[in-house]
Amino acid sequence: MTSATSRSAVPPQRSRALIWIRRNMFRSLLDGLMTVVFGTLGLYLLVRSARFVFVNARWEIVEVNFKLLLVGRWPAEHLLRIAVVIVAMAAWGGLIAGWISGRRIRAGLSFSSGSGPGARIADLTRRFGLIFGSVVLMLLLTDTAGPWLMVAGAVVATVLSLMAGRWLGKRPTGSPWLTRGLFLLVFLVPLVLYFYMVDAVPLADWEGFLFNVLAAAAGILLCFPLGVLLALGRRSELPLLKAISVVYIELVRGSPLFVLLLLANVSLEFFVPAAVAPSKVVRAVVTFTVFTAAYLAEIVRGGLQSVPRGQEEAAKSLGLSPFKQTALIVLPQALRNVIPAQIGQFISLFKDTTLAGLALGILDLLDGARVVTQQPDFRGLGLIIETLVFAGFLFWVGSFTMSRESQRLERRLGVGTR
Amino acid sequence: MTETNQTVFADATEHKGDVIIELEHVDKFFGTFRALGDINLKVGRQEVVVVIGPSGSGKSTMIRCINRLEAHDAGRILVDGIELSEDVKNIQEIRRETGMVFQQFNLFPHLSVMDNITLAPRQVRRVPKREAEEQAMSLLERVKIPEQAKKYPGQLSGGQQQRVAIARSLAMNPKVMLFDEPTSALDPEMIGEVLDVMKDLARGGMTMIVVTHEMSFAREVADRVVFMADGQIVEVGTPEHFFHNPQEERTKLFLSQIL
Amino acid sequence: MTTTAGPSARIPFYRDVRVLKWVFQVGVFAVVAAVLYWLWGNYRVNTESSGIPTSFDFLGQPTNFDIPGADFSPQERVQNAYVIGLLNTIRVSVVGIVLATILGILIGIGRLSSNWVVSKLSTVYVEMVRNLPLLVILTFVVLGLVLQAFPRIEDAWTPFGWLVFSNRGMGLPWYQEVSGLSLLVLFAFGIGGWWALARWRHAVSDRTGAPARSGLYGGTFLVISVVTGWLVLGGRIDLPTVDGPRVTGGIGVDPSFFAVLVALVVYTASHIAEIVRGSIQAIPKGQGEAASALALSGFQRMWNVILPQAMRIAIPPLGNQYLNLIKNSSLAAGFAYFDITNVTQITVGNGSPAVPAFTLALMFYVALSLITSVFVNIANRRFKLVER
Repeated sequence: MTSATSRSAVPPQRSRALIWIRRNMFRSLLDGLMTVVFGTLGLYLLVRSARFVFVNARWEIVEVNFKLLLVGRWPAEHLLRIAVVIVAMAAWGGLIAGWISGRRIRAGLSFSSGSGPGARIADLTRRFGLIFGSVVLMLLLTDTAGPWLMVAGAVVATVLSLMAGRWLGKRPTGSPWLTRGLFLLVFLVPLVLYFYMVDAVPLADWEGFLFNVLAAAAGILLCFPLGVLLALGRRSELPLLKAISVVYIELVRGSPLFVLLLLANVSLEFFVPAAVAPSKVVRAVVTFTVFTAAYLAEIVRGGLQSVPRGQEEAAKSLGLSPFKQTALIVLPQALRNVIPAQIGQFISLFKDTTLAGLALGILDLLDGARVVTQQPDFRGLGLIIETLVFAGFLFWVGSFTMSRESQRLERRLGVGTR
Repeated sequence: MTETNQTVFADATEHKGDVIIELEHVDKFFGTFRALGDINLKVGRQEVVVVIGPSGSGKSTMIRCINRLEAHDAGRILVDGIELSEDVKNIQEIRRETGMVFQQFNLFPHLSVMDNITLAPRQVRRVPKREAEEQAMSLLERVKIPEQAKKYPGQLSGGQQQRVAIARSLAMNPKVMLFDEPTSALDPEMIGEVLDVMKDLARGGMTMIVVTHEMSFAREVADRVVFMADGQIVEVGTPEHFFHNPQEERTKLFLSQIL
Repeated sequence: MTTTAGPSARIPFYRDVRVLKWVFQVGVFAVVAAVLYWLWGNYRVNTESSGIPTSFDFLGQPTNFDIPGADFSPQERVQNAYVIGLLNTIRVSVVGIVLATILGILIGIGRLSSNWVVSKLSTVYVEMVRNLPLLVILTFVVLGLVLQAFPRIEDAWTPFGWLVFSNRGMGLPWYQEVSGLSLLVLFAFGIGGWWALARWRHAVSDRTGAPARSGLYGGTFLVISVVTGWLVLGGRIDLPTVDGPRVTGGIGVDPSFFAVLVALVVYTASHIAEIVRGSIQAIPKGQGEAASALALSGFQRMWNVILPQAMRIAIPPLGNQYLNLIKNSSLAAGFAYFDITNVTQITVGNGSPAVPAFTLALMFYVALSLITSVFVNIANRRFKLVER
């Protein structure tokens, strides 16, 4: 530290900016040419899209059909149930997230308030600002107070339950019953909410963006048992089990989801007793489950491979039974390691739910975006771009945010770096 | 500079012969962190300069600036009369004249030892294949591993890899060699073989700047020792003076920690 | 010591690991078999009760539908329709894979470019496209671009008089008056010449050190030999023209083929770009620094040091993207492109039994996937061999 401040510490701003431009845009003749060409292209596209969004686009088609696009033909008198479910799920998610972070704090893995509230808010804005912004944008498209109340309720529920969860998590686990009760709650709440919704509107009538979100969630949850079993089967030394798993995984992975959906559309009823008449939504969810299980199996297999051999050997030497070796030692580590990959699979299923609209004729968000342009008021006006931009935007915000979160998790778990 | 040992140690410009490398008031920032502050150093032709200092003191950054692996933010760097600027032509010219040896060897794993050595002469200097290979063989003999020419880097020990890396740099007939902690990633028993090669080079009259923690090498081979701390050159002097009669407190502290 | 080996050490079968393993397997197998049997039984009962055939006899029946753009009459058998569908799937997949690879590599490298404008533009492209459902992109290209933004056939857009763009189809110039076979021979000759020239140039380069530029020499030879040969044989270029409601002359590009191709390429390229970027970034920084320190130029560094190593990492995920593209091409069925899925859908709609018809289509896809993975594995092994 002798004379570190003797000379001007930082070169003057102007020359720094010039140096930056020189280094990053005009390093050589070719470089400058590319800057000009692609800069022009980029500016042109930017201006074109900005003009479309703010000037030329006729967003009234989205405004008029807002409800249809989001929840399909869900009866208006039962919209309240959706609002209740959203608020409840916000509370549910907040509770889990809070509990996990509380546990981490207690274990000394992270600190409750290492950074000030300003930094925390900045962090949250960076991560979820996009979702929040689009929610506000959509609220502006509505004309009743209900959605505003719902969003306010969801925000309040998230914050409160996050705090409650963190408080619960930070407490030393007094009785195991508390933990068990929490786990039970985690599984029971969605189930109860499902029955609450299905009680009002049968599953077959779940449409719009609601279908896309719920079908993806259902598919990824339902495929879990099958996927894990297939992964274990493929890794097992038992030839018969291995063969069954390999055949299933490779056949499904070689098949296009779209063709499977078409097949389910015309023939699922042949494979169940005649008394059961599966609705379109059920067909879609069954196909998603069967399809995703094969991919999940491969992901879990990767996770199983990432667990060091010594773990299983240590479990064996402790005298655990083969079942307990897997269930208590190997599988939890494997599943934890592949959480980012599982999120990736969920994103891809989320996007693929649009195929159900085309293959089965379910009025999902994308199908809705096509159908509304044929309404008498809008037919022949060529407003398909407006509706597609809206639909695409919702999918994009969802999967972009999730993929960024999964990258964050990947960095934090320290996996995927080799 | 025979054995008069006065205030010359603080003078960073002292060197012998004509100047080949010149750093004037060089600054380097990583964001707002000042990695190098007002570095002044002149290196003479055929001189061996050893740079030592605690980790994070900017030693590596300094020699990485000399062949533009890092861009300096202020000041001037001249190599053999060519100034490093934003001009790609100057940068390439300087890189042709400077060889660099890395801590992690950085051999190209997909190329054989022979191809590693001949790649740059053939691509950059447009040397015919046969000539390049003959030169490579003689260089491999110089670093004492001619029998490894056909192998791939993954099949060699660390010491052998580093010697191939030295041969690879020499193949461009550089006027200056930069060594960035060449022995830090090696197992102890392999350090000697690499240092031997470097000593041979120094005796052969190569201009060298060596960042290292090997004090024995500094004592034995260096014409001058440069001590850096906190991004600045604290002290410069001949090995005898440096090790036996350091002037600055910072230097004394460092020497007491490592010796 | 040896007492445990005596007959007294016989393990009761219900504790014998070997027996248990098989019992467990047979148990699982029995469950799987029972489920399959149940499904099969339901299928038999249900099809019989509604009188639907379960055999593949429908393949011999006449199709009763038309395939536009193909020489196909409704009297032909279903199996011939399947062949056309399969060829169409392969056509769009092969062209799509080639184009998506080129575009994806360019964008992936662009993302790592030191040029700020290029890297930002590539990043926006990748992040935007990758997070959209393919079907949204496809719908956009079909309904928003081809049917809406492209001119109607009456006022088709014909740049230079060489190309035709309209919402009824596109036309590209194509060769004429020379048989495909002689053209093939010309190409073979040109490529042979390329190979010979490349060998010669590399020999010269080895001898003198001059840059080989084999691609330049060989490519020029190929173009010159094909063009002159074709002119000598009396070939002409057939330019597309608008003839009433149709595009005639040249080679016509179906709007549905165009739309599906564009959507598949745009979508897959964004994923390939990510793979390329990831593989290049996975190469240790020191590799690029060592190449720079040896005064290799930016291109030489990329071509000789970075790309060969990145290729090795990129091949398996790249193969996955190719498989995805093939499977995703089935979406074409929703947009009037006669790929194998569409053919199946139509023939089922015309009364062919659904389960056998779709099973056949699925078998084709699985076979295509297997063939592709064989190629990928070969490539994988080749690049591994170079390594060590």
